[in-house]
Amino acid sequence: MLPNLRSNEELLKEIENLSGQRIIDCYQCGECTAGCPVAFAMEPVPNQAIRLLQLGYIDEVLKSSGIWLCASCNVCGERCPRGVDYGKIADALRTINLRNNNYPLVLEKIDKEFINQAPQQAFIAAFRKLTT
Amino acid sequence: MITLAYYPGCTLYTKGKNLDIAARKSAELLGVELKELESWNCCGAIYSPVTDDIASQVAPIRNLIEAQKISRKLVTLCAACYNVLKRANRNLFLPENYQYRKRLLNYLEESYDGSTETIHYLEMLRDIVGFENLKTHVQKHLTSLRVAAYYGCLMVRPSEELMFDNPDNPTVMEEMFLALGASPVNYAFKTECCGGYIVVNQPEVAKRCAQTILENIANAGAECIATTCPLCQYSLDNQQKVMSKEYKLPVFYFTQLLALSIGISPELLNFDNHYIDPKPLLKEKGLLL
Repeated sequence: MLPNLRSNEELLKEIENLSGQRIIDCYQCGECTAGCPVAFAMEPVPNQAIRLLQLGYIDEVLKSSGIWLCASCNVCGERCPRGVDYGKIADALRTINLRNNNYPLVLEKIDKEFINQAPQQAFIAAFRKLTT
Repeated sequence: MITLAYYPGCTLYTKGKNLDIAARKSAELLGVELKELESWNCCGAIYSPVTDDIASQVAPIRNLIEAQKISRKLVTLCAACYNVLKRANRNLFLPENYQYRKRLLNYLEESYDGSTETIHYLEMLRDIVGFENLKTHVQKHLTSLRVAAYYGCLMVRPSEELMFDNPDNPTVMEEMFLALGASPVNYAFKTECCGGYIVVNQPEVAKRCAQTILENIANAGAECIATTCPLCQYSLDNQQKVMSKEYKLPVFYFTQLLALSIGISPELLNFDNHYIDPKPLLKEKGLLL
């Protein structure tokens, strides 16, 4: 389906405001995806997500699983030659979802043995990034 | 004796106590009293870069205010605390964030001008204790111990905000190990992410991140790994039990090896509290009876 560019304009502006990034600045070199440690499991990968946003397919990216997989390691933003930080864009996309009560982490599914062994910081970070 | 404010953070009293105990004992021996903040709260464990998210910044800034009662510098050990505290302060006091700053400071009981400087324990060793001075404290040289200094992501990135060391090839931990007589190995993935918090809901993805790093370290000929973060330690040590290949690489906190080297009793360093038992390696190197 063709994207509804006019109605998406506002949403794109919100993503840019929340992330502090200019999405149009990306020229698709792929450096972010090349450095991303979880790109092998990500759908869409960082540069694809940005391209989809540029083309107006905002809902497709907002509802994708890829935005939740970012580990916030900051490699993409560190290496981008155009000063576009995909990690911050992913955070903005998550924030829009979180504020609409959409999130992927199901607390009941976390393994009990894992809870006993993993450090507290893992849970605090995950709850902040993956729940409301 | 110099006194510096110290922030342990959420994990260092429990799952990360090996990092904390060794650090406090070592600092004392090296002439630094680490004085824990009287009243501290969790920093949030991960920095929020969302531009209108003021709530996430209150907790780190509150700790920075508390630190001022002790010293201008605040020492942290956990890579995540370092990242959060330092970025929160830096970004809040950017000139263009004037309105945002005013709103946030309204939430706090005390006024604050941004002057607390967050430093990592490794920076304290380098800049306050000094590596030349550290050499004179060595009781047991870590001779021929081939250690992979692992930094992960949060210590070094974003480099523009943290200004910790070279973001692709930091060397401060290796410099510490050289002062202790060890042989740090060169390898490619010392700032590659261990998977971090995604281990909570995507364990298979996090496992692969950790395995990539372990494979790289094993191929570089290291005998053990040193980390600065409880989550990196967990990812690289505990996850070895679920991997398809046996690496048998002990994963220390850098402070455990520092403490052992400068003569702190091994009984205080909890070498039993590891998934991959580090004692055989330490015995082989003559570092443990």
